[in-house]
This record gives sequence, structure tokens and C-alpha cells, in this order.
Amino acid sequence: MEQMVYLRMKKNINMSHAKHIRLKDIAWVSTVSDLQKELEETTVYRLIKKDQDTIVIDSYLVIDRLNHVFPNLAFQLIGPEQTIIRIGQQKKQPSVFLVSVTWIILFIGTAMTIMNFHYDVSMQEVQQKLHFIMTGKENDRPLWIQIPYSFGLGIGMLLFFNHWFEKRFNEEPSPLEIEMFNYQQDLDRYATYYENKLND
Amino acid sequence: MQHITKISSMIKTVLVNILEIVIGLSGGLAVGAGYVAFLTVLGIIPRLIQLTKSGRFIKIYIACVIIGSLFGVHLSFTNTTWDQSNGLLFVWGLFHGIFVGMLAAALAEVLNVFPILAKRIGVEGKLMWLLMALMFGKIIGSLFQWLIFVQ
Repeated sequence: MEQMVYLRMKKNINMSHAKHIRLKDIAWVSTVSDLQKELEETTVYRLIKKDQDTIVIDSYLVIDRLNHVFPNLAFQLIGPEQTIIRIGQQKKQPSVFLVSVTWIILFIGTAMTIMNFHYDVSMQEVQQKLHFIMTGKENDRPLWIQIPYSFGLGIGMLLFFNHWFEKRFNEEPSPLEIEMFNYQQDLDRYATYYENKLND
Repeated sequence: MQHITKISSMIKTVLVNILEIVIGLSGGLAVGAGYVAFLTVLGIIPRLIQLTKSGRFIKIYIACVIIGSLFGVHLSFTNTTWDQSNGLLFVWGLFHGIFVGMLAAALAEVLNVFPILAKRIGVEGKLMWLLMALMFGKIIGSLFQWLIFVQ
């Protein structure tokens, strides 16, 4: 009777440099068969010059190869259908200069946009009128409303993103982290489609 | 003869009034629907509910948005004064700021610039520092405008 082997492809892996990709690099293997070790050491893919820094290995190719090497085993796939391998993309330290420039761009950019926004909605006039409604006195520069408003702006953004520098207020992910996650998923989906040789 | 002119002018006034009511009502409907749609798209209310874990009170929040909008309408169309101290202004300004801050944050988030920017310069881990640039930029920009720029 054929023994069942369950394979679960790893979704995303980083490799520094490897000519041979073994099964255990790209998948978790579960089986009652004695061949588990051999299975895990099986080479499923050889890197060639043409391969760029992203390779997608489709589960079909893996099972196809394993079927030839182990004709007496039956394979069952669970989980993702392909593995994305990124080669030689070690996390490099971001340059302090670039980060500082970005920081200043964002800082000045947001400062300017908020000023333009205030002009666009005539906030000064509204605040002057509000000052008159509340206190009964005319005041061209109602600082009592404007300064707390300015700090409130920052507090509102902190609340929305749920972060003060590295510290977070509660354990829920912030909308930005969700957005980063979604973006990564989109990149992965793109890679699984366009880097997959079976789709060419 | 005079009667007829009087009656005809009365009819005209009534017709114009009815027209104004129709225009006002439809304008209000469009603006109100648009405003609520805008708030919904930005997702500030769900975000606040998520932060405070108060999903049960969603009806109260809805009522709050409606009453708040109507109160704003009242304030912009009347000319009364309440003769209150500056303390009220302080509280009002602070809450106004928090709301606009959340609006601005939600807009920046909808634009989706951040994930791409962070990936380009390779600071996925330190994303929050970029966020702080946004926050301080808003505070300083706003303070600069009110304290120095408008003089």
C-alpha cells in the first residue's frame, strides 16, 4: 500500500546563496514512512544562471519530481501552492542619510499640507466666529482655540496609528501595519504569477 | 385690481418659497449623504470603536455624528454668543484638533504612500519614525501658521 506524504509549502523564504534547493528548504514534510530523511534531502531544484533574485517553485514541479524519485509514495499538498524564494537579499542597514532626507521631506510636506488645508477651509475665519460665539468678544487671532487644536492634531494622528515612536498603546495592529502587510501580499501574489515558469 | 396684484405677488412669494425649500432640502441631502460617505470611507469611526472596544455603542456614535453635524449647521447660521471663558475654547480646540488629526492620518493612510516609501528606502522596521515625521510636521506646521504666519 502506498504511504501518504503530506507536504506544506513554505510561503516565503530568503536564501543567501544555494545551488541546490532541497525539499526541506521549501516545505514541511509529514509522513509515517521511513523515508522522511531522504525525502527532506531530495534536491527539488537546481539554480541556473538565468534565475534572477526571485524564484517561484510551484508545488506541481515538486510533486512531479518526488513522484519520479519515490514512486511508492503518495503525495498530498496542504497549504500554499507555491514557494517564493528570494536570493541574496540580506537585510541591509538603511542609510542614515536617505532616512534623514525622507524624514525631512515628510516633515515639511505635512507641515505645508496642513497649512494649505487650513487656508482651503478658511479655518481662521471659522475660529474667529467661534471665538465670538463662545466669548462674545471679537478676536482676530483666537489662540485659545488654535494652540490646543494644533496639539490635538498630533494626538489624533497618534490615536489613529496607535503608536508613539516604537511604543504602541494596545496590542492591535495599526492600520499602517495592515497596509504594509497587504502590500507585501500583493508583491507576493505578483511574484507567484509572473515568476512562475508554469504560467509563461 | 389691487387685490389681484396683491394675490398674484403672494402666489409668487409662496412659489419662490417652495422652490427654496426644495433647493435647500436637496442640497442638504446631497451634502449630508456625501459627508457621511466621506467619514465612512476614511474609517475613523471604526478605528475609534476598535481602539475603545465599544462596538456595542455604534448607534450612539451614529446619533452623535448626526447631532454634531446639525449643531455645526446651527453655529454657522446663527449669530448668538454664549459669553463663556477661554477654557471652553481650549477644550473645543483640542477636540477639534484630535478629529482633524485623525482625518489627516486616515487620508495619508488611504493614499498608500507609506508601504511603498518604507520599502524603497528599506526602513520597514522603523516605520514608526517616519510616522513621527508626519505628526511633528502637522503640529509644527499648524503652530507656525497660527503664531507667526498669519500676522
